[in-house]
Amino acid sequence: MNISGEQLVEAVKYLAAGICMGLGAIGPAIGEGIAAAHALDGMARQPEMEASLLRTMIIGQAITESTGIYSLVVAIILLFVA
Amino acid sequence: MLENLGKKLILHLQVGPLRISFDLVTVLVALAVTGFLAWGAWWLRRGLSRDPEAPLSRRAAFLIAVLELAETQLLGGFPKRLARDLLPLILTLFLYVLFCNWVSVLPIPYIVSPTQNLNVTFSLALLVYALAHYYGARERGLAAHLRGYLEPYPFLLPMNLIGDFGRTLSHAFRLFGNVLGGAILTTIVAVKFAPLVVPAGLNLWFGLFVGAIQALVFALLASAYIHIAVE
Repeated sequence: MNISGEQLVEAVKYLAAGICMGLGAIGPAIGEGIAAAHALDGMARQPEMEASLLRTMIIGQAITESTGIYSLVVAIILLFVA
Repeated sequence: MLENLGKKLILHLQVGPLRISFDLVTVLVALAVTGFLAWGAWWLRRGLSRDPEAPLSRRAAFLIAVLELAETQLLGGFPKRLARDLLPLILTLFLYVLFCNWVSVLPIPYIVSPTQNLNVTFSLALLVYALAHYYGARERGLAAHLRGYLEPYPFLLPMNLIGDFGRTLSHAFRLFGNVLGGAILTTIVAVKFAPLVVPAGLNLWFGLFVGAIQALVFALLASAYIHIAVE
């Protein structure tokens, strides 16, 4: 079976997008889970702090998420632009 | 549908040596959202009394409750005077991004969220970046504000500059990536796997829920960046 250069590039593009998104999603997922778990912990201890904890948790998760978003952008570029 | 993904209706203009491109759908939808917000503001403002001693109408009480909620939720850590100053800006950012995200659930063909366009999110992020510097310089003085880049140690200046740059970059890319990712996922599921019911649910999830969360995050981060600058 002969595979031309363009076919190889096309195949590797999809593979790279899959790996990029798959590996890139692990870190933010774990990190956001840990942030939510600790925020819940704090809310259970001090229910009166709930509003402030929720706000700080969302900011923290949003910042944690940016690495995942970078890999999403790279995957989108690989699939649709490159 | 899938082969049209990423294709856009672009208007190219040649102004001297500059070549300017307009994404027509994005421009029109963004203008429509702006118009809707301006109309909504006019409609809510209509008939309110200028006299602060006048008895509260139902609309005035509703507006006061909403503004106080927004002030405590979005601008919690600020001193009262600065919070009053920033509330219109942050609330406008929140509502604009919110309705830009929500507009994609309208059953109108070819309509997309303006926030799927990196230019829109980047201009909003740059606006927040410039305002953070403006308020930092205004509240602490220009010299003290610039000296903040030399903290904790002067040799960390490059790190602070890169951090500043990356913060704005991630502020723009976060909104863009979330909205565009949701839209692409919905389209692919609709075309490849399940053409009925499921895409509508996905569209509602990504449009309404994720859109609201991302709008909140965008406004909260804008307020947090300004807060860091004025501290």
